[in-house]
Amino acid sequence: MAPLQKRAWWGLGVGLAFTIAFVLVFVLMGGVETFDTDQTFRIIINVIWIGGLVAHLVIMDFTLRKAIVDERDKMIRDRAPRIQWIAVIFTLAAWVIGLNEVYQETSLIPATYLYVMFMSVLVASWLALSLGIIIGYWRANRNV
Amino acid sequence: MSRIKNQIRRLRFDHGEMTQEELAQRAGCTRQTIIALEQGKYVPSIELAFKIARVFGVALEEVFQYEG
Repeated sequence: MAPLQKRAWWGLGVGLAFTIAFVLVFVLMGGVETFDTDQTFRIIINVIWIGGLVAHLVIMDFTLRKAIVDERDKMIRDRAPRIQWIAVIFTLAAWVIGLNEVYQETSLIPATYLYVMFMSVLVASWLALSLGIIIGYWRANRNV
Repeated sequence: MSRIKNQIRRLRFDHGEMTQEELAQRAGCTRQTIIALEQGKYVPSIELAFKIARVFGVALEEVFQYEG
């Protein structure tokens, strides 16, 4: 397995772990209402998503500097943002449609959702980058 | 399937059964790229093609052939 491909799998695994942790903590600690009032809750959530971001940067960037990344790897990596772009658009579309349907009657959407939307788009973006690289290698290997 | 064929596998064996890893190191790419090249799943850049030919000490056309 190429170094970039190995890191993409790690990035996906770590990203999924942080995403599950984020969703579990958010739901179990009370959701949006508690998020507004409980500072400890906000700190825990911030630590999780910033921790995930740092872990992703370390896996996909810093450790990769020491590894051999050749022209084929670069070609695959350069194509991955297409999937990242699609993931971001679909995540935003899901949020817009979901929030619109839930809060249409009151026309008042809690401001916390802006924060949660940002974090979810960020998470979707880094998961999609790893996934894009994995798909890129899969397509390159079956290109016969 | 690409119309560009190559003789990398044969040339490796002609050069003292050079391993894919050794060729990759000397050409400045990964072993996975050499595997993909030998299986005809990847067409290299001109630069990598020249590097591979140089490792074997042969002309580019002896390594890569276009079957158009």
